[in-house]
Amino acid sequence: MSTILELASLKAGYGQSVILQDVSLSVSEGEIVCLLGSNGAGKTTTTRAISGLLSPWSGEVRFAGVNIVAVPAHKRVALGICLAPEGRQVFPNFTVHENLLLGSYSEAARPRRAEKFDEVYSLFPRLAERRSQAAGLMSGGEQQMLAIGRALMGCPRLLVLDEPSLGLSPKIIVDVYEAVATIAKRGLSILFVEQNVQAALTIAHRGYVLANGRIAVSGTSAELRNAPHVQEAFLGRRVSLSGAGKASPSSVATSSH
Amino acid sequence: MGWRIVSWSIWALGFALALLIPLFGNPMMIDITFRICSLVVLAVSWNVMASAGLISLGHSAFFGLGAYAAILTANLAGAPFWLTLLVAIGAGAVLGSALALITGRLRGIYFAITTLAVSEGLRVIAVMLPDMTGGAKGAYLAAKSFPGVTAINLGMGVAAVGTCLIAWTISRSRYHYAFRAMRANEHASQMLGIYPLKYRVAITAISGSLASLAGGVEVWHGGYLDPALAFDLHITITSQIAPILGGLYTLSGPVLGAIATILLGDATRIGLGHIQGASLLVFGMVLVVCVLYLPQGIRGGLSDVFRRRSVTCASHVSLAKSADVARP
Amino acid sequence: MDLIPQAFSDAVLLAGLYTLMAVGLSLGFGVIRIINFAQGEMIMLGAYGAFWLFTLFGIDPLISLPLLVVAGFALGWVIFGGFVVKVLDAPHINQILLTFGLGLAIQHIAIILWTGNARSTQPTYATSSFLIGDVLVVHGRLVAFLVAVVMVVALIAWLRWSETGLATRAVAENRGAATLMGIDVRKIYALSFGVSCALSVATGVVVSFILTITPFMGFPMLVKAIAIVILGGLGSIAGTVIGAIVLAFAETFASYYVPEGSGWAEGIAFILIIGILILSPRGIRGQAVETN
Repeated sequence: MSTILELASLKAGYGQSVILQDVSLSVSEGEIVCLLGSNGAGKTTTTRAISGLLSPWSGEVRFAGVNIVAVPAHKRVALGICLAPEGRQVFPNFTVHENLLLGSYSEAARPRRAEKFDEVYSLFPRLAERRSQAAGLMSGGEQQMLAIGRALMGCPRLLVLDEPSLGLSPKIIVDVYEAVATIAKRGLSILFVEQNVQAALTIAHRGYVLANGRIAVSGTSAELRNAPHVQEAFLGRRVSLSGAGKASPSSVATSSH
Repeated sequence: MGWRIVSWSIWALGFALALLIPLFGNPMMIDITFRICSLVVLAVSWNVMASAGLISLGHSAFFGLGAYAAILTANLAGAPFWLTLLVAIGAGAVLGSALALITGRLRGIYFAITTLAVSEGLRVIAVMLPDMTGGAKGAYLAAKSFPGVTAINLGMGVAAVGTCLIAWTISRSRYHYAFRAMRANEHASQMLGIYPLKYRVAITAISGSLASLAGGVEVWHGGYLDPALAFDLHITITSQIAPILGGLYTLSGPVLGAIATILLGDATRIGLGHIQGASLLVFGMVLVVCVLYLPQGIRGGLSDVFRRRSVTCASHVSLAKSADVARP
Repeated sequence: MDLIPQAFSDAVLLAGLYTLMAVGLSLGFGVIRIINFAQGEMIMLGAYGAFWLFTLFGIDPLISLPLLVVAGFALGWVIFGGFVVKVLDAPHINQILLTFGLGLAIQHIAIILWTGNARSTQPTYATSSFLIGDVLVVHGRLVAFLVAVVMVVALIAWLRWSETGLATRAVAENRGAATLMGIDVRKIYALSFGVSCALSVATGVVVSFILTITPFMGFPMLVKAIAIVILGGLGSIAGTVIGAIVLAFAETFASYYVPEGSGWAEGIAFILIIGILILSPRGIRGQAVETN
């Protein structure tokens, strides 16, 4: 299985504040990987660096082996990276259908538009029902589905999701995650960032925990679920993770101060 | 700190020149000093507004209003020189406050637009009320008592010195930080418990009254006023160019810029004088170039050369650098 | 009074022209969030373009219109790429002063090249007229109205139904999300600025046979366009149409019914701006306007 995305020693932030100190992670083709972290840990900074909305100060973002740090954000869709951003950010005055239409704006995605519409509408029947409704009037869950569907319209090889469970009720979270799992079964690689550890680990193959601007823990979802120290890692203390598990490129930090 | 003494000395020298030349200088020096002092008042006034995030695109409105206030009070009420100036100051304060109240808590762009509209609107009013203002034909100053040319020139010098002192006082006051906050991010300053509206009104009232004072003195100097002269685009432009060229948000910037602008204007007139419109064309280009390439104006350039600390509180925040706000 | 039908007719024709005049400003602000203070000078250039083509080559303004519109688009594209793009992320003061300075420079280049003397183009339809009942309709005004309607409708159609129009509206709503769709926001900005200038140039061409042409004509038109756009709400095309109707009617009826009204009519835009800002700054259909 080849690596579709690799972040190597990424350092990024805003103005004077450093958010990501040294972040390295990878996603292999067909995998579902989650990046966990508490509020302000830098999850959105990471997704913005991947999608190109933010330029890192150092480090590399390698997509299919090529460093894309210099590629402007709007060109990354054509490469195959599509992001459903934090807060959904649907276009409120456009209809569901128009939002999806915009998702397939790029030259690469336009020819496959009809096919993609079918795919998204069958994946999210709720969206099909509401296709002429203004996106701003929909519920949080529907907007999240729309954001994901809109990202899918871009024919991605890697789908990036920023906190899909944010502000949603548990029932809707289940629906959303089921949809994500279905998407993954069709061979799409998925990276998502989450605060909600439980929900994330239900579908992720592997995960990383981001704290203090670095990866504190990494492992398979089983390891992360069972490890007693993941919560601590969440809060920013470094932990060691026992057990070999799957090989993962990022190192496991040991607790030493 | 040796530099501080040098700086104070230069200021003292400048003030002395502004006050002594009208009394003892030769006609050419008096004329250029008058024009420089006039622009210093306008430039510092514009700069004070800009320091609080309020861009005036129609500073001629204040100037013209002050000029009309002075000439009308003199002609219709027979008021003496100093009284007409007080009326001009008052008119400017009222206009400034009105502008601030009208635009309330709206974004800076609305203030800019309103000043643009007001300068045009006042011009229309001046044209359409010939009984009062002489209309488009204009009016001559017909004062009961004339204070003498020297007093008028000295008046402008005093105005310039006073304006600099007022600006210095503002920059030293605790309100100074409120203004910087307003300039950088109005939203945040409201959350911090600073109330921009109150400060906006204060700033525009003070700044406006100074610009109106300049208009009032000028009308005594020139003896004639019509709407085109009062609300001349030239006044609006030079009020902006001087502080930008000299260094925005600083104390010495507008003064240096006023001197530079007068010299530039004269040089253009001498060099390209036969071409009407040349000087404003030059000013327009200067404006564009400054915005794009010289964010800190002349003063910033000098400061880079000498690597000195400025006397002012508002140091190097300047045109091109926006406040960096961390966004999560 | 029986002037009402005449006033009504004049006002409607004027409203069409005013819509064309203001819609470019509205587009520029809606998409790029910048007010182009050089807008008036674009109109002036369009008028002079039509004038010189008419005077030197005898080309009717309506025929030179497409050519000049394309030239206006190109000029807008160049101005955007050469100047405006550099202040996109700069503080407002830079943006305001940049377009203001450009407008000033263009105005005085015009003064130097063409002097301040008043001109106008004189195609036959500029002064000829016909009667509908008791109402006199000047051909020139009607032509201007029709051109304006065609261009505004074309703009709205482009925004509504074309791929780039959709992208432009998306950028106006949320430029970050638009980028994630693969939309090149810079290019859309340049495109919008170009279209905005093209519309201004078209206004100038049309105005060349209605008003006198001087290098100073742009400024009052800028103030009016601003009044219209604020009244209708910054960033809304429908609002611009409404604002244009309001201003046109207010000016026309003032000039008919108020003594010396045509002089005062010029000040109505100013009164409208003040009035709107006091009463309802959002305008009729606009976006939120509170600080930041």
